[in-house]
Amino acid sequence: MKFYSRKGLMAGAVAGVLAVTGPAFSAECIAPANPGGGWDFTCRMIGKIMYDIGVADKPIQVTNMAGGGGGLAFSHVVNERNEDAELIVAASSATATRLAQNAYAGMTADQVRFLGAIGADPGVIVVAADSPYQSLNDLLDAVKADPTSVTFAGGSAAGGFDHLKVLMALGRAGFNDVTAVKYIGVDGGGDAITQTIGGHTQAMTGDMSEVVGFLAAGEVRVLAVFTEDRVPGFDDIPTATEQGIDIVSVNWRGLYVPLGISDTDYRKWSDALAAVAASDEWAEAMVANGLAPFTRVGDDFQDYVNGVILEIEELSREIGVIQ
Amino acid sequence: MTSDRLLGLGTITIALAYIAGATQIQIGFLSDPVGSRTFPYIVGGVAAICGAYIAFRPDQDPSWPNSRTFLRIGLALIVMYVFTQTLKPFGFLIPAAIASAALSYLISPRPMMAIAAGIGLSLGLFAIFNFGLGLSLSPFGRYFSG
Amino acid sequence: MELLANLSQGFAVALTPSTLLLAIAGCFLGTIIGSLPGLGPSNGVAILIPLAFSLGLDATEALVLMTSVYYGAMYGGRISSILLNIPGDEPALMTTLDGYPMAKQGRAGDALVLSGVASFVGAFLATVGLMLLAPILARVAYLFGPAEYFALYLLAFCTLGGLASKNQAKAALAAAIGLGIAMIGLDNQTGIPRLTFGEIHLMDGVDFLVAIVGLFAVSEIFMFIESHGRNTAIGVKLDKITIPFRDIVKSFPAMLRSTAIGFFAGVLPGAGASLGSFLAYMGEKAVARDKNSFGRGNPRGVAAPEAGNNAAAGGALVPMLTLGVPGSGTTAVLLALLLTLNITPGPLLFAERPEVVWGLIAALLISNVVLLIMNVPMVKLFVRLLSVPPWILLPGIMMVSFGGIYSLSGSGYDLVLMIVFGLFGYLFRKLDVPTVPIILGILLGNNMEDSLRRAMVISDGDWTYLFSSGICIGLWIAAIAGFVAPVFLKNLLQPPKPVED
Repeated sequence: MKFYSRKGLMAGAVAGVLAVTGPAFSAECIAPANPGGGWDFTCRMIGKIMYDIGVADKPIQVTNMAGGGGGLAFSHVVNERNEDAELIVAASSATATRLAQNAYAGMTADQVRFLGAIGADPGVIVVAADSPYQSLNDLLDAVKADPTSVTFAGGSAAGGFDHLKVLMALGRAGFNDVTAVKYIGVDGGGDAITQTIGGHTQAMTGDMSEVVGFLAAGEVRVLAVFTEDRVPGFDDIPTATEQGIDIVSVNWRGLYVPLGISDTDYRKWSDALAAVAASDEWAEAMVANGLAPFTRVGDDFQDYVNGVILEIEELSREIGVIQ
Repeated sequence: MTSDRLLGLGTITIALAYIAGATQIQIGFLSDPVGSRTFPYIVGGVAAICGAYIAFRPDQDPSWPNSRTFLRIGLALIVMYVFTQTLKPFGFLIPAAIASAALSYLISPRPMMAIAAGIGLSLGLFAIFNFGLGLSLSPFGRYFSG
Repeated sequence: MELLANLSQGFAVALTPSTLLLAIAGCFLGTIIGSLPGLGPSNGVAILIPLAFSLGLDATEALVLMTSVYYGAMYGGRISSILLNIPGDEPALMTTLDGYPMAKQGRAGDALVLSGVASFVGAFLATVGLMLLAPILARVAYLFGPAEYFALYLLAFCTLGGLASKNQAKAALAAAIGLGIAMIGLDNQTGIPRLTFGEIHLMDGVDFLVAIVGLFAVSEIFMFIESHGRNTAIGVKLDKITIPFRDIVKSFPAMLRSTAIGFFAGVLPGAGASLGSFLAYMGEKAVARDKNSFGRGNPRGVAAPEAGNNAAAGGALVPMLTLGVPGSGTTAVLLALLLTLNITPGPLLFAERPEVVWGLIAALLISNVVLLIMNVPMVKLFVRLLSVPPWILLPGIMMVSFGGIYSLSGSGYDLVLMIVFGLFGYLFRKLDVPTVPIILGILLGNNMEDSLRRAMVISDGDWTYLFSSGICIGLWIAAIAGFVAPVFLKNLLQPPKPVED
């Protein structure tokens, strides 16, 4: 039993080091992916600010539940935690895209309640600084003339959100042969931009936050941002709309909660989220991470999500991602 | 000889089943030149060739244990499986104590020591996981905590 | 001189009594997390992020804690590899090959000290490399497109020919099994599930930790039951623990070579620590004269992968800091931590936030020195593990494995999968099918397939694109000349093998 007592000692020592914490968390935020991605960031940042500004009395525990592109967490919430009022789950445009494309094994958006979004990452089309393409139309014209001359790199698989943005833009420009467009899905936006700067692919489709550092270093040129107006702080980047390509597409960062919780609890969470949106900490975090303000909380947001899902569903059917 | 022939035949069977499974992979509307099925086909093919090679050029048989030992390995498997199935409803502490004790008994058949090891390991590891590393294991599960 | 000024600024930020205390605590915790099967560096760092917040640590303190846990786990992974033949995490996989035979010969202490020193050499030199070369090396990542990555993975798989002991067909089969398992899950190119049979748990594929723990830890329990403890290192009479100066000196060149290979693998975002340690080991075996002693307790076979994987861990920080591209699970978690601290890595991080970068570099140097000082004396404690009676140790290993995997994934499915892997691991070991290529197949299979498919999209299916750059051609030549050809020319090139005892 010598070994055992030593293990016990070790545990004691470790516990001593960590005495300040304990598993006494009450509320939980599920990030439906491994640590390091956007959903993980949403949970950690919002959870941290909720505690810092005092709307949550205890730190919010973040659980990573990767699986099925968020589908595992979604089914976990629907099937096992439907009445858990102490649970929030990170979501983004990718969640809506997958729900619209029926990628969550038959589960639908009305099986949870969307709580709100408090920031958005504007969609962008980026080329390397030494690229011959100077404007969005240069690039789209090149694809129209010879689809094999341009390969797009993006952080999502074919048919995913990043890919759809390219197809939508091309569709607005009058090019509808979606299968001819060359697209490779790599492991995240950072990878996509590295491949583009390296000249392996000609353009990158992704989110503003993924390119901020490279833009400041002069390695890339942003051909267009998919917002209604130019993004504050990036005033020299033209929108797609002003170049005649009518497309608005942002990757919002938000949360959903289980469907079965009471209206009181729903309001408690939406008030907390609204408080985060209004806080200085969040403003600071948005600037540091290239997010644009985008606050829609409560029923207003639920309507917005329903609209987005309908739109993506229509588009996906149009281009054949779903039947 | 026999073992490797069985291994070879088993491999071929599974490889063919794998290839058959791969033919069922959906091809999306946007297919790349290589496609979703090519790699699974290649992998299945390589495995089948290896299987055939092993079946035709078998190594010497390893020394397999006697049936009593197989029985004990089988029991260990069952203990582990039961543990995985009871972990969620009953929490960590009790299933872990029982499973460790059973496994300990299979390794060294002394009941009192086995029980002591089971209880000690269950409590000690629970403490390390929960308080030391901050991993959240449920101690008793849903049947006890209500 | 600017370098020294920067570095001293870094130490001024990172070396205070409170950060030193954090570094010690982090190294200790990391070592334990790393040595537990089923918990690796990425879990370690992820587990501790909430802790950093609830302790209210500032940016520097949080970074010191995280890096010390990161490296602590990298050091810790080797312990169970050497003592029990169970890799604590995936980069420590290769250390089992020669570390465990050394332990069986009673030289567990030597193997642990040697690998500790090798870890230090790898990690320390990688940090120096990061310090001097990061901005330049960042550009290397731009040079690697899909074709280059494909050639790199191909090189890794070709080296398997050199790994196989007796039966090449069985090694190839093992690699095919690993690749076959890797194909399960969402197809990265099309987003459509493959071979999942509608099972949502398989959508993201089979977690390699589940496979490692199953194939190594669970099967070890069956092996032990079968052999009644013969032919394991448990209970082996240990030599007196001394510092094996001769082995350290003799394997020092191997450490340096492996550091270079590992660091380079780390710098490439698509490669990472596992590939670093793997290529380091195979490279060392390829240049060695006494090839046959590898796999039987050759000290260089312990030093090479440990120097390689720790150097890769340092190298992986290059693309993470300069490009914001995480090259491994662990750097992905570190990146998340930086973002939550409102530090955005990218090409300008070195210029805009020198205090963060140099603080981090100082933190890395500090945690490595702490780990070296901590690890060598702790060897005496670690080897006692082998004198624990097996009827406590083996159920303990099982509980740690199951508890670790379960508490992270919360999925009973993974546990059942682990038992299945355990059963097959036992059968494979009996039938002399090596298990290391299976893990490699799972780890690298998707990357290899993805890079080939991406390359073919870019080139419209033109295969010559795979040889379109100097880097590609060099890697292909290395793969064929270095590893494939020798397998076929073995009988011509080498004198007949001495009779095995």
